[in-house]
Amino acid sequence: MSTAGICPEWDLIIKDEWRGVWIFVETFDGEVNEASLQLLNPGRMIADKIKAKLVGVMLGHNIRHLVREPIYYGADEVIYVDDPALSTYTPEVYAETLISLVRKYKPEIILAAGTLRGREMIPYVANILRAGITADCTDFDVDVNTRDLIMIRPPFGATLLAHIRAPERRPQLSTVRPNVFKLPSRDVSRRGELIEEKVDVPPPRIKLISSEEVKVEEVPIEKAEIIVSGGRGLGSPEGFKLLEKLAELVGGVVAGSRKAVDAGWIPHERQVGQTGKSVKASLYIAVGISGAAQHLFGIREAGIVVAINNDPEAPIFENADYGIVADYREAVPALIEEITNRRSR
Amino acid sequence: MSLNIVVAVKWVPNTQVVNIDPKTGTLIREGIPSIINPHDLNAVELALQLKERYGGTVTAISMAPTSARAGLEFIIGMGVDRAILVTDRVFAGADTLATSYTLSKAIERLKPFDILVFGQETIDSSTAHIGAQTASWLRIPYIYYVTDVEYLNGVVKVKRKLEKRIEVYELPIPCLLVVAMKSNEPRSVKLSYKLKAKMENCIEVWTNNELGLTRECIGLRGSPTRVEKSIATPSVPRKKQKFDGQDVKTAVKWLVDKLVEEGLKIV
Ligand SMILES: Cc1cc2nc3c(=O)[nH]c(=O)nc-3n(C[C@H](O)[C@H](O)[C@H](O)COP(=O)(O)OP(=O)(O)OC[C@H]3O[C@@H](n4cnc5c(N)ncnc54)[C@H](O)[C@@H]3O)c2cc1C
Ligand SMILES: Nc1ncnc2c1ncn2[C@@H]1O[C@H](COP(=O)(O)O)[C@@H](O)[C@H]1O
Repeated sequence: MSTAGICPEWDLIIKDEWRGVWIFVETFDGEVNEASLQLLNPGRMIADKIKAKLVGVMLGHNIRHLVREPIYYGADEVIYVDDPALSTYTPEVYAETLISLVRKYKPEIILAAGTLRGREMIPYVANILRAGITADCTDFDVDVNTRDLIMIRPPFGATLLAHIRAPERRPQLSTVRPNVFKLPSRDVSRRGELIEEKVDVPPPRIKLISSEEVKVEEVPIEKAEIIVSGGRGLGSPEGFKLLEKLAELVGGVVAGSRKAVDAGWIPHERQVGQTGKSVKASLYIAVGISGAAQHLFGIREAGIVVAINNDPEAPIFENADYGIVADYREAVPALIEEITNRRSR
Repeated sequence: MSLNIVVAVKWVPNTQVVNIDPKTGTLIREGIPSIINPHDLNAVELALQLKERYGGTVTAISMAPTSARAGLEFIIGMGVDRAILVTDRVFAGADTLATSYTLSKAIERLKPFDILVFGQETIDSSTAHIGAQTASWLRIPYIYYVTDVEYLNGVVKVKRKLEKRIEVYELPIPCLLVVAMKSNEPRSVKLSYKLKAKMENCIEVWTNNELGLTRECIGLRGSPTRVEKSIATPSVPRKKQKFDGQDVKTAVKWLVDKLVEEGLKIV
């Protein structure tokens, strides 16, 4: 197999010039994004293994009061740009500003939260640098000899994990969905260097006309304590009505697998898994869900997992604490009845 | 005023019908039909609506094996005027950088274009990279998660939805719009369009003979990322207790007992 990185149109990369692990820390909407801070967790592990500095990178306007946060959560250093030209986010302007910093400091690794804005701007950053990028990583490792980041994600096909590297190029970029990693603990006694950078922020080609906050009525699934989740096994949107009844009874919310989302039974905001959301509920009840790896990644941090599935061989049973082999159309009403009866006793 | 609109569509295995072999835990690949990526149908629908409102043409482009012709016929059936199938063995094995490079070189041949329309993500790889990356190769402004578009005098006004915000932006042409998943109802196929397509031969095939790209910059060789190996998923340790009996009433009693033992306050 031939090697990559020899396209004559790309800048040559001397790998030894690239050092350091960067976490791009979002400060959109005037606050530090928790999903970005979570990445200081794998970031610390990677940086320690290759004995590199862990650096938080922040862009924005009037963010000076926020720039110590990455240090409190484990960064060694923060590099930031505070500029009125960054007061409104547009993907190109933010991406180009980050690229300027990357060209100057040459970090070997950049991790960013896979928020909607992160997913919009980071692929652009990678491409301008002709660097390798992977989306929705669920884990990382690092090769201490080559300093290659090993970016781990479930590929197409459900029970395997792909290990992806970009051996010839630097930096190596990855996005990670919110809540895949735990937030490190905050320690305000931690100290680290703050470096303010000035960058020529390019003029925006696109213009923000208005930005309106929308109120989300339901409890978002990533915040819920109890989740009743449905999959393709429900067979119809009516199945979700039944799950809603159960959820209401136990004070939880409903969520679903991607196949339930694809079928239009539940909105994408309520999808659990690698390309949906990761949840930390103390009780997760999976109904008519087979237990594909992409789904299971979303419940790594969940407490007790219950499975209701009519196929005794379904992989979900190997990944649940308590399972019932039954048709959900019988099991869910029976469960509702049992809980109701016990409460009235 | 008339818009030259280009819409990018991917030909993907239909994961809706993909199943896992319960014994081996691997994917059952045999006989999986391919389809146009469902989220790209939202892109096609938006492109067709723009054409209807402002006039112009819609050209679909897809980098895929030759079997994708069937998918492009489907898109033509929706009302797209022309389709380009970018296909060559040398494009195979491309990661998102090499794919977006090849696509952008093909799209450059469609100049002057006004609006490029992309789907949000594909159901087989779900990276959502290609829109931003193609914009970066073409050096044109772009925006993701678009739900509504208006056009006036060279300015494209879009509405888009983020986690907790609805934003309105203005972009100059040419620009690239990434359409939010499920943001519209894709129209169905008209037989008359399909027949017209057959007669007028409106699917063109472009290989690397047409594009003339350096081999080191495309396909596997032009891809910075390498998929090294696949290992079995390390699973989170769980108790794996299973109640497999005929009587559902007993099963749910057992379950509620267990949950109470775990300290969960559900009753
Ligand atoms: C790149 C990529 C990203 C992905 N990301 C995600 C993701 O984020 N989240 C996600 O969930 N998936 C994701 N997937 C899809 C994933 O691989 C699976 O296809 C999906 O999770 C399966 O959904 P499911 O369990 O609802 O459906 P199925 O696998 O079809 O399972 C249905 C289950 O219901 C059971 N059942 C049927 N009838 C009944 C009944 N009457 N009572 C009880 N049980 C019944 C069946 O035994 C079966 O186990 C992704 C795939 C790819 C390729
Ligand atoms: N091979 C391809 N040919 C044409 N368009 C593509 C191709 N791959 C991706 N796209 C477009 O890019 C979008 C995002 O794809 P992805 O980054 O793979 O999730 C898709 O919805 C398509 O609009």
